[in-house]
Amino acid sequence: MVEHDGLMRVFWPTDIRKSDRTGVVVGWRNSTLDVFVVTILEDVDVRPSVPNFSPSKSPSLASSQSGLMANTSTRHLQAHNVEFHLRSGTFFRSSPHSPSRIYELCGHSSMHVLGVSNAATQDAIDPSWVCAKTSTYSRYPRISCAKASSIQLILYDRPHPKGMQYISLNPIALALGDKGTLPEDVASSEDDSEEAKQEKAMKENRRKLVEKLKQHSIVRRVASARDKALPKIVNQVNWSWELEQALQQNVGRLGPRPKRGLSVSERVVESATTMRNYVLVQLWTLFSVYLFPIVQKAFVLVLLFHRMVAEIFLIILEFRAKPGYAALKDISATAQQTEIRLQQFCYWPMQYVTLRQRKANWASVTTSHPDYIRFYNSLWLVANDVIIGMAVGSYIIEHKDWVADQIRDLLRTYTVEALQRGISWLMGWPAGLKLNGELAAFLGDLFLWVIDYWSSCIETLSPMLPHIIWFIGFSSFAGASMPIAMFSDLLSVLTLHIYSFYLASARIYHWQLTILRSLFHLFRGKKHNVLRNRIDSCDYDLDQLLVGTILFTLLFFLLPTVMVFYLNFAIARMIIISLKAGFDTLLSCLNHFPLFALMLRLKDPSRLPGGIHFELRDTHYPTSPDANDNLLDETPTSIIYLKNIPLPFRDMFHQYFQMAHRIRKHYLSPRVLLCLVTGQFVPPINRKNLYSLQYSMLPARRATVWEMWRAVNTEIDIPQKKPFQMPNIPQLQNGGKRPTGFGRTRS
Amino acid sequence: MLTTAPRLRIRRPSPTTAEFTVTTLPPRTLPLRLLWLLLLVLRISLSLVALLILYARWVQERSSFGGATAQLPSSSSSPPPPPLLSLDRLVFALDAFQSTPAGTLLARIAASVSLPVLLPVAAAVFYALSLRVHKEESLLVLRGLGVQTSESPATYLAGAATRFIPTEKIQDILVNEAFLGFEVRYYLVVVVEGEENVVVVFPGLLPRRKIVETVWRGVRECLYEGRGEDRVDKSGG
Repeated sequence: MVEHDGLMRVFWPTDIRKSDRTGVVVGWRNSTLDVFVVTILEDVDVRPSVPNFSPSKSPSLASSQSGLMANTSTRHLQAHNVEFHLRSGTFFRSSPHSPSRIYELCGHSSMHVLGVSNAATQDAIDPSWVCAKTSTYSRYPRISCAKASSIQLILYDRPHPKGMQYISLNPIALALGDKGTLPEDVASSEDDSEEAKQEKAMKENRRKLVEKLKQHSIVRRVASARDKALPKIVNQVNWSWELEQALQQNVGRLGPRPKRGLSVSERVVESATTMRNYVLVQLWTLFSVYLFPIVQKAFVLVLLFHRMVAEIFLIILEFRAKPGYAALKDISATAQQTEIRLQQFCYWPMQYVTLRQRKANWASVTTSHPDYIRFYNSLWLVANDVIIGMAVGSYIIEHKDWVADQIRDLLRTYTVEALQRGISWLMGWPAGLKLNGELAAFLGDLFLWVIDYWSSCIETLSPMLPHIIWFIGFSSFAGASMPIAMFSDLLSVLTLHIYSFYLASARIYHWQLTILRSLFHLFRGKKHNVLRNRIDSCDYDLDQLLVGTILFTLLFFLLPTVMVFYLNFAIARMIIISLKAGFDTLLSCLNHFPLFALMLRLKDPSRLPGGIHFELRDTHYPTSPDANDNLLDETPTSIIYLKNIPLPFRDMFHQYFQMAHRIRKHYLSPRVLLCLVTGQFVPPINRKNLYSLQYSMLPARRATVWEMWRAVNTEIDIPQKKPFQMPNIPQLQNGGKRPTGFGRTRS
Repeated sequence: MLTTAPRLRIRRPSPTTAEFTVTTLPPRTLPLRLLWLLLLVLRISLSLVALLILYARWVQERSSFGGATAQLPSSSSSPPPPPLLSLDRLVFALDAFQSTPAGTLLARIAASVSLPVLLPVAAAVFYALSLRVHKEESLLVLRGLGVQTSESPATYLAGAATRFIPTEKIQDILVNEAFLGFEVRYYLVVVVEGEENVVVVFPGLLPRRKIVETVWRGVRECLYEGRGEDRVDKSGG
């Protein structure tokens, strides 16, 4: 095997009990010289009375040494005894869950005895066993092993599984990762094919480079068992706390029960608690058998009814007349907001059921922790949203006339009067530019006339405005995101005229540019060959040339007039788009801000693992007064500290950064600027890209009503725990652990 | 004076574990220590001055905001100082400092600068004062586990950025050369399996070729030598 380079690797928990007593080191043996220590079972013995049960904490050298000497012969025996019990699973007999899950995740069929601690001599022990030497004074244990020529001692902090702490090699994923391409987006993904093509080509290039790099590697090294053990070790670290608890609780099963019976006071306490527990259990049964199922059933039925209503709404919102056509949710921000809320509502029961299943397993199983964070994040955000919404809504409803007046004023000032002023300014030579007066007057009158008509429409609608505002205010009791979405929609409806002006002027401007280009070719005696997509020379007749040149001159001198009108409306349109982008940003913050994750990061960083890192500690032992020092031959040892990296803040906002990057790439690209300058229609960004953030917390396909019904109704067999925490009976005074046969656990 | 050319420091408690640190921190001598102390005092005093200016500005803003009510207690007889080691005591001391000549000077400076200028400038000053003088980048090699690169951050406020690469994922470790401006630099790279980008070791300092070669040999020896099943190859990179 590969392992015989003499390197021994020992994983050692930092919070292990430091004492001078002898013990058996228990844990996992990943390979011969690669061990993972879970705990030290102290004072495990076959004999009822041993001298080192002395309760005095002060390590009196002589007595402990004599004790060690006396125990040397039995230690070998006791280690084998422990090994036997580990194999037969004695330690997990009273555990609430099946131990097979432990063995599956930690990669072994049973735990192992790894060695002994504080042994006096090394004669009787196996050569691959670890001899650890701990004392209350030194910070690090001293490890030695007959087979090892060098040692890596890796210290680790036990993550607390009950507090949902864990470590992992990869950063925790806050967004759902199972996104395939949604079927509805296939049709719309073609419009930015150029970008996609570029990206593809770049990826292909990189792949080729990586292939080339692979050929440069000269030696292909086979990973040894030790190299491959890392994922297993991460699991073992995560399990270590629970295993230690189980082992330490049940260590009393190894030895005989103490001979002493219960004292009178203990007996009195025991019978009193039994009586109390009996009464409480009866009450609990009454509740859980008769009352609880009825309440539960009623709740499930109400939930199911709501789910069906939600399904109907969702079908309406997602209805497309033809595949590729816009659905209601693509057009309106309100519809989209409603859809997100409904989808979340559909997803919650499934999430909740998943989270409940967590309780039916060991706490160290870490697969559902990201789900937990996602679930509570979305719940919290919705609660926040509703709270803010109530404040906003009550304000809007109370002041609805004032708000309506403000909105009317704003509309009149900015979408009618400012526009009229701008157009009249363009009609008389703006900024000293001598435009074509006749054309400017024509265009200006045209637009002014439409604006007049529009403003009269708005005037007739304005008595309705307070009612609309009241409705918006009322809707905000469903969350502050709702009025924002509605205002966004209201903005697009009330500025419809600007949009149509923009379209019309852009069309005129673009036509003129195209005509100018072809006439310019004519002017040069060339023409555009459509079949071959190139410029060919062409012999024009004199009259053709003359008419073309005259037209070219005419159009060229009219161009500035058309251009200023186009620019005016294009700028107005851009301002509206950026306003809507602001609303969208606000919405995405309200819907998907990683608030829960941020709070967790502040409260307990180890719940959000972002990888591991190692720290090399200085190796210098304090000169201990222990006389046994010379017995341990000095193996070169490096002390390494394994630490968890908390998830960096950058990774939490990864989705936001990605979205900002996409928007920047789309709207600040030279192609879009060219479109803007030549008057072509600026293609809107693909909605799939823009709203990837909105949907990153939801599954690609929502569970159907039937699936939800089944999930809600399946019974999760949560193990019957003891219904009440038993009162703690004081520890026996004879120093050993109390045997825990009667469910009196949790010391 | 405060920094040197990048130099290598090796910690190797056992043959299979090594940490290679490239740092611009010169070896510690007495003058250097004194200089460090001086720098520290300078940093602390400068940031204190910046804080006091900000406080003076805040007091001015508050008094202009709160109106005449804030003026009244200060003009009356001085109240007894609040107990030591309390927040009120701190405020008291600050207010007492405001009336000293230095305090009035700072207050005048604070009043002469407009707020939109003052705040960014103060932020920039704090950032500049928290900058590290020297850089330190290291590579930790653990046989059987992997390698870990780490870089000291730009300021004292942030922690070191580390990246751990398990042995399984290491495809190769090699020395490469690249143009940087008008010179050729040799640098150590770790090729990670299944990733598009290679990981450059010591990316900020890019030490000289001699150091890079030493580190490369050390890493090879530490990770692979004497494993039995593979021979030590002579060329790489």
